[in-house]
Amino acid sequence: MAATLCGKLFSSPAWLPLTQSVRHGSKAVTRHRKPLHILKQKMIAVTKYIPPKPGPPAGSLTPRPKRIEEESGLMRILKRDLEDVFKDNKMVAVAQNSSSNSEDMLVLKHRLKKHDISVKFFPNQVSRAFLPGSPYKNMEPLFMGPTVLLVSKEPKAKQMLLALRGSPQIALLGACIENTLLSRQGVLDYSKLPTVITMQGELVSSLTLMTSQTVSMLQRHPAHLSALLQQYVKQLSPEGSAEQAPTQPTEAA
Amino acid sequence: MAAARGVILKAVKKIAVQFCPFESNARSTREFLVLVGSERSRATNMNCEVTTEVKHDASEPLIDVSFLDGERLVMRGAKLTSREMLTAFQTRCTAKDPQAKLGAKK
Repeated sequence: MAATLCGKLFSSPAWLPLTQSVRHGSKAVTRHRKPLHILKQKMIAVTKYIPPKPGPPAGSLTPRPKRIEEESGLMRILKRDLEDVFKDNKMVAVAQNSSSNSEDMLVLKHRLKKHDISVKFFPNQVSRAFLPGSPYKNMEPLFMGPTVLLVSKEPKAKQMLLALRGSPQIALLGACIENTLLSRQGVLDYSKLPTVITMQGELVSSLTLMTSQTVSMLQRHPAHLSALLQQYVKQLSPEGSAEQAPTQPTEAA
Repeated sequence: MAAARGVILKAVKKIAVQFCPFESNARSTREFLVLVGSERSRATNMNCEVTTEVKHDASEPLIDVSFLDGERLVMRGAKLTSREMLTAFQTRCTAKDPQAKLGAKK
């Protein structure tokens, strides 16, 4: 402020002032934010730091590596047991028991034991781990929820169905009988089939029927001839030769 | 879990569940069957029948509930989870039978 006043007092051209203020005009330090000079603004805009764009997050592009848990010893034992079950037993049925208490289970086990059908429990995890490696992999969707396996060496579907009818809460889902996967309807139809021996007998009889018919047809003519001759001989022997003469032409005709 | 307390079947006459076990969309229906058919749930109403039908014709799983006042609730379980079906079922049950429940709670 003193500098400006001095500038105005000594304004005549002949007289040079003793002091000349350099710092004059707009102030550097202001209370508000002073707008940048256009050149400085341009410089800053050109030389601004542009950080590199962050790429996709680490787990998004490649799938997360799934933790493959090592199968425990118990699981291996159970898998082996399951394999033996499938090997030894011709009939393996899967049923879901939505609700059965221990006494219902006991009664059912007793009824099935009479026909040599045993009830097995395996954890679904074990079944689902074992089945895809075996030829029974189409049974995999059956093993969901609380399931029981009903296994027997001989395929006794009828007796099993009768026993299961007594306990309504057990729902038969499907069965693998003699390496063929059957649905519930398939099991019902299977149980209605007659036994193998009956079927074999029927087959044999139907085959021999045709041959026996052929045999009888072939032998019809000689049989007829031999019957006629026998009749002839019978007539010859009691009556004697005299009566035979008039009958002979009729016989020959 | 919702199942631990059991499903109250006081207002239900009959529950018919049908599914095809070889289909992959039968999972929720089977879980629902387990929840509804458990001992505790059945003990709430001994007259209620829970029937299961196992089919093999690739039909979608179906749950058909008939209530005591004649109303029917049909749930197609192909795209539903068991929890959703359970909540829908339970809300209807409690709506039908609020007095008995409230009285018991009080």
